[in-house]
Amino acid sequence: MKIYPYKRLNRPITLRVTSVSLKLSDGTRDQLETTAYSTQQQAVALGIAGHTDWVSATIGLSATLPPGANAPDAAWSDLCVLAVLTDGETNVRTSAELTRDAPDGRDWSGSVELLRDDHMGRASLAVYAVGTVDGVRGRSIAETDRSWLVDTASDEPVRGLQLDVQTASFKRSSREWLQAYADAPWIVDVSARVPTVFVNTDVEGVMGLLDSNGSGVESKVRDLLIAQMATDVWTAVFHGAIGDLEVEPGAGPVFPTDWQGEVLREMLPDVVPGVHVEEALRQVHRRRTGDSGWVELQTRIHYAAVRRADATKALAYVIRSLEQMNRESET
Amino acid sequence: METGEEFGPWLARQLKLAGKTQAELADELNLTRAAVSAWITGRSTPRPTVMMDIAKALGTDVGTVHTRTTDTQAGLPVTWYHRPGYHDGGRDLGNAAAFAFDADVQVLARETCQNSLDERLTENGRPVRVRYTLHELTGEALDAFREAILWNDLFPHYSAVSEAAGNQKVGRVVDAGVRDMYEKGRLVLLRVDDYNASGLIGDDYADGKFAAVVRRQLESLKSGPGAGGSYGLGKATLWATSALGLVLINSTLSVPHEGRTERRVIGRLELPWREVDGEPYAGPAWFGRPDPDSPGAMVARSWWADEETVARLHLNRESDEPGTSFLIVGAHDVASLEGKSDADDESVGDEEGDEDTRDIRKMHGRLVEALGRDFWAAMTGGGSRLPLLEVSVRALQNGKEVVPEKQVDPSAEQPSRTRALRAHYEGTTVDRLTESGQVAARSVPLKLPLSGGAHGTLGTHQAVLLVTEAEGDRDADGGKNQVHSLRGNRMTVKRAGVQRLPIGTNPFQAVLLVGEAAGETAPFAKEAEEFLRAAEPPEHDRWGQTEELTLRWSPSAYRRINALTAEVNNAVRELVARPKRSSREGGEAVRKALTVRTRPKAKAPAGPVVPVLDKLDATVGDDGEWRITAEVSIPRGDEIVPMVPVAQLDVRSGGRPKLDWAELVAVEGCEVEDGTLRFPPGTRRAKFQGATDVTSHPVRTTLTRLVVELRAGKGE
Repeated sequence: MKIYPYKRLNRPITLRVTSVSLKLSDGTRDQLETTAYSTQQQAVALGIAGHTDWVSATIGLSATLPPGANAPDAAWSDLCVLAVLTDGETNVRTSAELTRDAPDGRDWSGSVELLRDDHMGRASLAVYAVGTVDGVRGRSIAETDRSWLVDTASDEPVRGLQLDVQTASFKRSSREWLQAYADAPWIVDVSARVPTVFVNTDVEGVMGLLDSNGSGVESKVRDLLIAQMATDVWTAVFHGAIGDLEVEPGAGPVFPTDWQGEVLREMLPDVVPGVHVEEALRQVHRRRTGDSGWVELQTRIHYAAVRRADATKALAYVIRSLEQMNRESET
Repeated sequence: METGEEFGPWLARQLKLAGKTQAELADELNLTRAAVSAWITGRSTPRPTVMMDIAKALGTDVGTVHTRTTDTQAGLPVTWYHRPGYHDGGRDLGNAAAFAFDADVQVLARETCQNSLDERLTENGRPVRVRYTLHELTGEALDAFREAILWNDLFPHYSAVSEAAGNQKVGRVVDAGVRDMYEKGRLVLLRVDDYNASGLIGDDYADGKFAAVVRRQLESLKSGPGAGGSYGLGKATLWATSALGLVLINSTLSVPHEGRTERRVIGRLELPWREVDGEPYAGPAWFGRPDPDSPGAMVARSWWADEETVARLHLNRESDEPGTSFLIVGAHDVASLEGKSDADDESVGDEEGDEDTRDIRKMHGRLVEALGRDFWAAMTGGGSRLPLLEVSVRALQNGKEVVPEKQVDPSAEQPSRTRALRAHYEGTTVDRLTESGQVAARSVPLKLPLSGGAHGTLGTHQAVLLVTEAEGDRDADGGKNQVHSLRGNRMTVKRAGVQRLPIGTNPFQAVLLVGEAAGETAPFAKEAEEFLRAAEPPEHDRWGQTEELTLRWSPSAYRRINALTAEVNNAVRELVARPKRSSREGGEAVRKALTVRTRPKAKAPAGPVVPVLDKLDATVGDDGEWRITAEVSIPRGDEIVPMVPVAQLDVRSGGRPKLDWAELVAVEGCEVEDGTLRFPPGTRRAKFQGATDVTSHPVRTTLTRLVVELRAGKGE
């Protein structure tokens, strides 16, 4: 629990994105449709228009402060409202000042500029109300409780991180390193910007099966295959994330801010149940770097991956439809 | 000075009311019959001295004869006329039209407001103003009102109905209404006034608006083809809302009748068949002046009341603008009970008024809500267009305002839709939405069938579809992502959600303008209007298969409306949803499986339970140390994990600096041992206090943010 040594507003600021436009390399602007952002998911997808050559994005914002921000007896003065764009991967922090829509109103609006070169993947956008309290300038009085996500590559404004899926013929791929795995049906690469699954098209019919939309046994087998694939992927991304932690001397591991953080936050409760995720991270890190306990943890990691992959459900469906098929052939 | 009616017609009516002939008056005045006849036909007027004699002969004062704004009181007094029982012994145990509606002020609002819109005086371009007044009467005010409506004459009829109440619905409702009035000593009047409307014009009996409302059932005499109503059922809601079945009417006419316009008053009572003093009565009764022309001078007709009388009847209008006031006596709102959710189960029985169907404040709220929901479009203007309608609602108690008059503001009740329509009127719509607050417009085709069952299409009407971001502040009307459909009368007819929207679609509101609402220039606007009006059921809540549609067009004509709906939904989806991308590599199923999203947590294994921090208070002490008081909540369990409280300073990135404890004290439910909190088995809540060691602070305390956590184990 967090405590501030000065008076603040209890309730959060609400933030809405009102428009998004891209500046292209030829100097023109493309005003994106409102489908580029989702107010429910609180996400912006800058890849939606399919431009490859954009330079910067201008995101129009509107923020509403909680009641009491303008109270005449408030403890703060020199109120100003800032939109802050942070990227955990590149450590870039951009802020823009918003302007009040009407005197004495609680609505502020403005825009923040995002330079494409400053970001790798996902940046988060928050708004802070800042003022002078007890003679100290620049104190945060209220913030948004849930940041917006700005994804510079995604073409769908959703919050959940989507792992990338690519298909390639491992034998003939221009990615030469894949040739070493020519006899594997799929391979997970955790070193990419976003973990990527490569599906080997040399295995005949695998794409047909994965793309199938039919019903019947075929689709059940597909689901089982996907469950198997997902189990592999989740195991791999967990290890990828836990193996690469930044450690603060004397304070233990630091939660990663990119996709690794998202994966860990999601999976740790299943790996170390019943404790806070930070505490779980410390425990897992201790076991991995310490003398004992790492081997015992593998079962839990496997369990977390299997749960995510919905393997039990997929298996049950396959068995049921196989039984059904057998009955039909008997009669 | 008020201008009364022409002398001739006035005198003729006074003679009729007084039961005198022209010859008798001539005798009394010592004049020839021809002279009287000349006055009545308007060929001459009497000299002032003769006026005095006429006044004396009619039993009134000279002023009345001069101004002629009211009738003399010489004739038969205002009274109740109850229609006698049918000679064939038939009995009507209620008005069938009234059964089509429940006692619901929201339905009443819809029907009455629609009627006012239909009767708007269009020449001056001004909106029709409608005012709803809820008035609760108690004590002396109630007694005075009862006297004004001659309650003592009515009472035997109500008693007769109450006695037979066990057998039929209307009787029970009336019985309950009368009992409520006596037991609680109150009566709720709901008055509906409209101004700048045509008023109840026309003769008392012959075809006309007056007769359509007051004398007839299921007759609709609408002023134009774009009118909302078409069944003539709407007026029945007035009586359905009255628990006493009693409605009084005062109308200011836009076209003079009998040379007058103001204060045409009549009352109508709807009761089931009854027997009073051995006389059978068919059902309805009228409150008015006996018509000397009717057989036995029994039938009550409307009369031109004076100001004092309308005031006593609570029927006084605020100006001489034409329009009608309906006073619903004993208004109740049964439907308001439905809205009660299960959530307030606990409050049942707390308050007696809770289940009250006659709570004027609640009715006020429901009226505002319904008017905003159904008539926001008619109340919206923009560009060169004025709104068609202005509505206000107020509530009074014995003449004192308890809820001040409030004009229903469409931009407060329906902000997104109002914005959409205004943008359409002002011509500021866009093709594609690129900024929140914009309104996108599309035209959507409605293919009109040929009438008379012939195959083929008469023409294609272009309806206007408006889509804008939902402003989210009011969800009472069924939520977001809805299409409201309207036609010429600007009343919301259809509300429907749009299905199959992708997740994360920004909430929106859509408005579909069809028929004359699409604009006068839209092709086949009139035909579309007529077609949709025929497809509207009496509830005015959808367009679809109706008998009229089948008869005038064909049994399959309603499919044209389904096709319109499909077109509308497609257009909406196209505007608000991302186009479905060609499937990405690996197919949809793989993508779904590989999305990081929150799942329900796995069940924690059985074993020692882990306490969590529940509440934290902290202040900066005199020496700059953080002093905390923390509360811990513990899940039910036999064994409780010992916890280490850890104080840290919050930072923007990197690890948090840890602070040492100078002091850690157990307050209750725990003990402190070497910096660790231990809890006796079975504890559910604990409290401890602590102070940090200032020497371990890396920066000045007033510039820090404190984070306190409970950690299991060693607290590393």
